[in-house]
Amino acid sequence: MAFCLLYKPVLQFCEIVVNEANFVRKCIGAESCQDDLWGKLVCTNFKVSFIAHNSLPRQCTHRLLGEHDIPLACVEQVVTVNDVKGKQKILGSNQKLKFNPTELILYCKDFRIIRFRFDEAGPESAKKVCLAIAHYSHPADPQLLFGFEYVGKRYHGSTGERVNGVDPGGGLQTPLFDCSSDWDREIKRTGASEWRVCTINQGYFISPSLPEFFVVPVSLADQDLKQYACCFYSQRIPLWCWNHSSGSALVRMSNISDPQQQRKVEQRISSAITKSHPLRSDVFKSDLDKNLPNIQDIQAALLKLRQICVIDSFEESEEKWLSSLESSRWMEYVRTFLRHAVEVVYMLESRHVSVILLEKEDRDLSCVISCLVQLMCDPHCRSLHSFQGLIQKEWVMAGHRFLDRCNHLKRNDKEESPVFLLFLDCVWQLWNQYPAAFEFTEVYLTVLGDSMWVPVFSTFLFNCPRQRAEHSRDFASSKSIHLGQDQALCFPPVWDWSQQFSLKDQTLFNNPLYVGKIATCVQNGTVKTFTHRRSKKNYSSTLRGLPSALRNGSLGPNDTLTRRNSLMLRLRSDLSQVREQQETPSERFVRDFFSRPVDLQGLLLPQLLPSHLSVWKLYFLRWVPEAQIPQGGPITAFHKLSVLTDEIEMLQNQLRQYQGAAGTPNNLHAEHSKMYFKATSTPHQSPAPPEYLSSSFPFSPVGNLCRPGILGTPLSKLLNGAKIWLSTETLANETI
Amino acid sequence: MEESDSVESLCSSTTTRSDRSSGTRVSDTELRSKGRVIEKVLQCKYPSKGELPLLPEEHVQDSAKDVTYICPFIGPVRGSLSVTNYRLFFRCTDREPVFGLDLPLGVLSRVEKIGAATSRGDVSYGLACKDMRNLRFVHKEPEDSLKKSVFEVLMKFAFPVSNNMSLFAFEYKQVFPENGWKVYDPLAEYKRQGLPNESWRISKVNDHYELCDSYPAALVVPVTITDEELRRVSSFRAKGRIPVLSWIHPESQAAVVRASQPMVGQNGRRCKEDEKLLQAIMDANAQSHKMFIFDARPSVNAAANKMKGGGYESEDAYQNAELVFLDIHNIHVMRESLRKLKEVVYPNIEDSHWLSNLESTHWLEHIKLILAGALRIADKVESGKTSVVVHCSDGWDRTPQLTSLALIMLDSHYRTIRGFQILLEKEWLSFGHRFQQRVGHGDKNHTDADRSPIFLQFIDCVWQMTRQFPAAFEFNEYFLITILDHLYSCLFGTFLCNSEQQRLKEEVPKHTVSLWSFVNSQLEEFVNPLYVGYPSHVLFPTVGIRHLQLWVTYYIRWNPRMRPQEPVHQRYKELLAKRAELQKRVEELQREAANRTASSSSERAGSPTRSITPVQTFV
Repeated sequence: MAFCLLYKPVLQFCEIVVNEANFVRKCIGAESCQDDLWGKLVCTNFKVSFIAHNSLPRQCTHRLLGEHDIPLACVEQVVTVNDVKGKQKILGSNQKLKFNPTELILYCKDFRIIRFRFDEAGPESAKKVCLAIAHYSHPADPQLLFGFEYVGKRYHGSTGERVNGVDPGGGLQTPLFDCSSDWDREIKRTGASEWRVCTINQGYFISPSLPEFFVVPVSLADQDLKQYACCFYSQRIPLWCWNHSSGSALVRMSNISDPQQQRKVEQRISSAITKSHPLRSDVFKSDLDKNLPNIQDIQAALLKLRQICVIDSFEESEEKWLSSLESSRWMEYVRTFLRHAVEVVYMLESRHVSVILLEKEDRDLSCVISCLVQLMCDPHCRSLHSFQGLIQKEWVMAGHRFLDRCNHLKRNDKEESPVFLLFLDCVWQLWNQYPAAFEFTEVYLTVLGDSMWVPVFSTFLFNCPRQRAEHSRDFASSKSIHLGQDQALCFPPVWDWSQQFSLKDQTLFNNPLYVGKIATCVQNGTVKTFTHRRSKKNYSSTLRGLPSALRNGSLGPNDTLTRRNSLMLRLRSDLSQVREQQETPSERFVRDFFSRPVDLQGLLLPQLLPSHLSVWKLYFLRWVPEAQIPQGGPITAFHKLSVLTDEIEMLQNQLRQYQGAAGTPNNLHAEHSKMYFKATSTPHQSPAPPEYLSSSFPFSPVGNLCRPGILGTPLSKLLNGAKIWLSTETLANETI
Repeated sequence: MEESDSVESLCSSTTTRSDRSSGTRVSDTELRSKGRVIEKVLQCKYPSKGELPLLPEEHVQDSAKDVTYICPFIGPVRGSLSVTNYRLFFRCTDREPVFGLDLPLGVLSRVEKIGAATSRGDVSYGLACKDMRNLRFVHKEPEDSLKKSVFEVLMKFAFPVSNNMSLFAFEYKQVFPENGWKVYDPLAEYKRQGLPNESWRISKVNDHYELCDSYPAALVVPVTITDEELRRVSSFRAKGRIPVLSWIHPESQAAVVRASQPMVGQNGRRCKEDEKLLQAIMDANAQSHKMFIFDARPSVNAAANKMKGGGYESEDAYQNAELVFLDIHNIHVMRESLRKLKEVVYPNIEDSHWLSNLESTHWLEHIKLILAGALRIADKVESGKTSVVVHCSDGWDRTPQLTSLALIMLDSHYRTIRGFQILLEKEWLSFGHRFQQRVGHGDKNHTDADRSPIFLQFIDCVWQMTRQFPAAFEFNEYFLITILDHLYSCLFGTFLCNSEQQRLKEEVPKHTVSLWSFVNSQLEEFVNPLYVGYPSHVLFPTVGIRHLQLWVTYYIRWNPRMRPQEPVHQRYKELLAKRAELQKRVEELQREAANRTASSSSERAGSPTRSITPVQTFV
């Protein structure tokens, strides 16, 4: 046992150990401690680390975090327990603890629940490490977030060498939309010729929450914009998001704070947008606040969902799972957002009008809807880099308050809300319905969600670009960092995935099914195109008899078909009238869409029947041991698909080699393959999925979910790897 | 030529891909098959106005124009209705896209007039279907009261058994390249399992169905038990359904044995031979000195059966046997659950309370209990190496559900297309699941308390497993839906009658076509391209309600807001085609390179280190 003292935490370049305790036991799940791990519990300024003296192998290793590490930003609640005295306390920052803890439970924002026991540890050091964790997970100031140290250190080397691999935008193909050229490209790409990049907010002199560059109608001069700016909430001039191929624009706008000016300004803006439309079409305003749940609703839903997913005991929640899931309202909200996005798509796609997304602050719900609309309409956004660009454009640059919504400072719970996670869930639903249409995988979406809690990325650390600039300037001057050519500290964006994962692990993000531009790959063979089987003609909308006037304001929620009594409809001589009564034009639009074969490179609408949305199991249930399917789950199909795609890649390389001059040597393939699972050298037989695969892959429930409910179930057996199923009998015993 | 045409039209007419009540969704496969149907119609025997794609021996019995179908999704549709001796056609051609209904009469469970005729003489008819939908038509009554309405003709042909006519399966004379009646040979299947062996023999005691008329002729029993003893056991087991072997573990020799309940009664009757038989089953497995008896019922129900002479094994009488109740409810509860489910899913789904409505049907809960029971059985056999006896009351409903699901988990052979057919033939058909009674083929008595969706539940459980293990099954979802569609269609003889004996008596194999003839003649339709055959792999599904989902592509397939597709499978086939194409070209280039090397020996041929062998494609 003594030699565990020799184990040292793996620290990042600028990471410092704050406190530590030895002889700590990490609970693996069972009440019996035989599977628990012994080791050292360490609190640094970045993470809570546990250094076990015999750890299990890990499939997917994180570059910033070890197997048992939890970033401080991921800790939601620190609970200390003394089970002898029967005491329990939730620790905040700078608090006192009147008893010696025997146990520490960390509730994490990513749904993990981790338990440490201090039976053998010194009582004082146990107490100290708990207090340190509580204190350091409640930073008083954003500049105490680890990202600042992490990035600040790169400017210290006297030779100007760059450490921590920060390379702003350099090797990245993801547009960050922090310069006017990215916006110019987007304008060109979408054919939005009547729109221009506006630079009046350079230096953030007009609006504190807008980016320095954004896009406005050409008919609005800078002078006008400056004048209108003061009417809007936080001086947020309406922002252009995207242009539909028909020329209709998607615009987001905050509320007009001055009621006297409202009409006039609204009219000016609308007419400018109309002028920018090739058909001079009308503008439709979609009021998001009226039609969508607010951020507190969303937060409440996630808390309830977390309760039933990981906190309630598995058996008890099993019985009422469906109705509890319903009463959490999470799925309902996911559906509401998707449905609203479909309504907006209908306006753009079928009515050919421009749409303004109206939200009080224009910094939460608009981000979700505008991204979803673009994902549904624009196949370009479904590639990995464009998807990242989309998040840059509609979330980071548009000023989604990541700092507040993540509640990194744990100051104001009212501002905390998982809007971004809800968005990821909506994307997952689309992905789940059209898996071949997206370049990325659900592992990618899950990891992206988790990255919110690794506080080193520019993406999730700030409320808006201006805040980033100010904080990094202040930090630089307070630490007398010489910024050189840079105007601000350059935080890596989360899109610099090499910060977190090896190239091999990053291949888990690549979807073997993705159709993308693959259709052109075989040039003169018989297989010419795979994607399009439908002629464009079928696209032409057959909408007839639309109501002449649009209702002003919000989209009505009454899109549900009448239920059973629809059988009782009286017959009319004119059947078409009856149908129109039953079905709104947007419903007809959706039904028309579903009556045609889908084009993965075209418009995608989600199926919105409540029966067709599922729980995002990989994200929400990955830590639940009872919910794990050993050697099963979608990953087994993914495995087979990856191998096939890898074979295809290999053949293409061979072809290139034969055909071309100076082809790459064949053995390079293995390194450059985009697939995580590779073709074997003996492809006579389809390889069976590896034994370690489970529905939780690449995550593992082992040691990550120690709630009271599962104590006593022989999880120990899960640890024995291949023999996992031994426990099924016992589990089954309890489910009945 | 003629033959393959019919296969296609058959394929498109009875299954989910084209027969949807909305008629407005046309997938590309559907378009293609419709195209073929139209082509076929041109050279059809009925070139007149009734242009319908008919099967051999299918004849139009009556037609009516100006019938209105009240579609719950798109409102009333006016068109013409035709009734043949096999199905119902409804066509409306004066709208775009063409609207059609095409359903086998076998799916109808009830046809009834709703309300009285209106002043204009309109009468409405409701058609309740076994496949989760209800249809409603409005039709003007013929003025000539002597003339039969088309719906009266429909009623006659929808319920041939009640009208002393034969089912269409006995008239349908399609010839397929393969004879599906030869799929299952009990002796060959037992031989595959290594039977008979030193502990188990194949008894001929039931050769003429004298021991048990609902059991198959070939029975596998312990060698130490004589036929005479088996006869005595049969008087102690309900309906004479004695404990016999279903499956044996190739390594541990642990066996899955099925039976019916012992006739213990209130006085706790015992049967020496029965006790000896169970002991012999235990002894046949050297690995374990214990065995498990799984009683599928809730213990309360099992106890209640004592009043009726039945009951369960007492631990006194059966030493070393542990009795476990699996809490699965009876056929009446299941029927009620499905009825509720139909209310929830058809025609429309209530947006706001979908999940709690679904929960209140208890359908998934029942699925969970069945899967959990099968999982425990499989776990005992595989991990515990113990033999198990499974029974319920009569051993023909819950018992085959449990044994066949456990067998699918234990034996990868049953996860292949042919293996699954053998499993159904064996565990369900030969062991006398009462298909005729449970489905009520051609019988108008829709309130019959013997009807119950037991087999549907089993297929649902299989589907749940295919979701959890997408690469472990050779068949796809379409295969399962096809089986269910033809469970009701009465086009094939496979699911007719209640037992092997009845099927022989009616000469079903001689006079009808097997569903497997149809399926095996176009296997590529039913293949799961993601299938990886790993032979000795045991599947342990997760039975939690979190991992069970409603089979929407079956239960909600009539809803036009629902798109039937297997995008992953489709995409996979495309990738396979692409690989085949690339392979061909690489091989060509390799040959060229080899030729060049042969001609000029000084040049070094850069042959790739890793080669890819051709793999069959399903495109």
